[in-house]
Amino acid sequence: METSILNRLDRTAAAYADKVMFKDEHDSITFGAFNQLTKAVGTYLARKIPAGQPVAVMSGRHILTPSCFLGAVRAGCFYAPMDGDMPETRLNQIIGVIQAKFMLVDKAHYEAAKGLDFDGEIIVFEDIKDTEPDEELLAARAATLICTSPLYVIFTSGSTGVPKGVITAHQSLMTYIDSVAKVLNINDTDVLGNQSPLDYIAAVRDMYFPISFGASTYIIPKNEFAVPTTLFETLNREKITALCWSVAGVELPAKLGAFDVAKPEYLKKLCFSGSVMPCKYLKIWQEHLPDVLYVNQYGPTEATASCTYYVVEEKVTDETVLPIGKPYDNYRVMLLNNDNTPTPDGETGEICVSGPILALGYYGNHEQTDKSFMQNPLNDKYRELIYKTGDLGSFDKDGVLHFHGRKDRQIKHLGHRIELGEIEETAKKIAGVTDCCSLYYKDKATLYLFYTGDATSKDIVLYFRQNMPAFMVPRKLINLEKLPTLPNGKTDMQTLKGYFK
Amino acid sequence: MNELMEILQELRPDVDFENETQLITNGVLDSFDIVALVGELNDEFDIEIKPNNLVPENFNSAKAMMAMIEKLQDE
Repeated sequence: METSILNRLDRTAAAYADKVMFKDEHDSITFGAFNQLTKAVGTYLARKIPAGQPVAVMSGRHILTPSCFLGAVRAGCFYAPMDGDMPETRLNQIIGVIQAKFMLVDKAHYEAAKGLDFDGEIIVFEDIKDTEPDEELLAARAATLICTSPLYVIFTSGSTGVPKGVITAHQSLMTYIDSVAKVLNINDTDVLGNQSPLDYIAAVRDMYFPISFGASTYIIPKNEFAVPTTLFETLNREKITALCWSVAGVELPAKLGAFDVAKPEYLKKLCFSGSVMPCKYLKIWQEHLPDVLYVNQYGPTEATASCTYYVVEEKVTDETVLPIGKPYDNYRVMLLNNDNTPTPDGETGEICVSGPILALGYYGNHEQTDKSFMQNPLNDKYRELIYKTGDLGSFDKDGVLHFHGRKDRQIKHLGHRIELGEIEETAKKIAGVTDCCSLYYKDKATLYLFYTGDATSKDIVLYFRQNMPAFMVPRKLINLEKLPTLPNGKTDMQTLKGYFK
Repeated sequence: MNELMEILQELRPDVDFENETQLITNGVLDSFDIVALVGELNDEFDIEIKPNNLVPENFNSAKAMMAMIEKLQDE
């Protein structure tokens, strides 16, 4: 029986010792070498930290970063990845929540790490990577892990203006990885092309398919997504067979006409998630690559990345709206009405999830945790937690789930989950912004900020660029004398939506 | 050139387009900036930027973009 992800790493490291595990534009690393690095890092950390502690990791988009993550796990700890490209303010918020005593960084991020509000010890990966593994110590640390131990804490937008750290256990991650691998038929012949930032939830497949099944992952340089012809050349050069990308990433090459020049010759499977797929772009993929397996995935970070999937068997048209499908193995999905009664088939209710894939909650935030993870109101006989996603859905007569948007003001933009409330809380911190309302123009995938006050749009964009991740910067800023209001005094968002252009 | 500068400034007021010459190579502009930019340039200059034009050399600086626009306008 598996007690932690380390069981898998031990197995694949032995079976595939000389095979390439991760590769980027500069370098590659074998399973054997990767495993050795995790043991070096794990040994060093284990001599400093007790088991069960968080380790913040700030490392770049390269092959060594996953070994920092798994090194923390070898020490019996869990990792909280931070994207060094994010502005300081954001990183400091994450540090404030996770309160780690140690931060592991690559050399390139050392200076940046020193400038953060972090009062613990900063450890540079390059300085400790040659530590001689202490197998006895590592075995003792591995023995502290059970399948419900936390594996990582990944941060997501919070409506109050502070990001929330979603805690995922070993068992949840392994359940998800096995379920999605079964649908995509992932095995040791697969080569994945990683698109997602490594600190983001969508990267878990690219890291844990190799660890679990001996597949390999190529980390695609970020700027290749701006030049789609290079992107397809890369997919062919690296003989990439499987992509698990955000919808935004799948749209890009189709939107920019990359198929007119080349096509990914080796691709067999394409799994996409993060937002609703506009089928006019999927159609282009299907026309050029009719034999690829296309899978639409749906689900929140709180249910370990995804909870339902839909294998696209039909030829889509511009108008097709894909269902989000059926639950993965070991995921239970049900719909509830606002009064916590069951939603009949065919009607719309809130999508709720339960099973071993539920997150352990939000790190250090009982209040939010209790609000989002609650006892199944339909079960008064035994303990059964559910997570209310805030998404609306309906089951059709075949038991296939369809997605109908959000209950609240959370949006999906460029594959990232954003609380519009967080954009507003940020804008209100800017001198010269008196009041504001942020809205999302879905048709044009544009984030709007309507505001009053004498700040210029440049002031606002600069503030966001310095303080927030790039995907949270509003693209269109509209200065108004006064925000329109409804009779009850709330902002009239419908009128504001009339200003979209 | 003024028109182009206006578009660029509105897209990314935080970037020094006068002097920056490695916009793509250094990752200053990301893929989503490029998608937005291509749409605006096509409309504003009445051109059609094709996938073959989407190479770093054509987008690394404002000057390079202008050269590409002029070339496409002649075609």
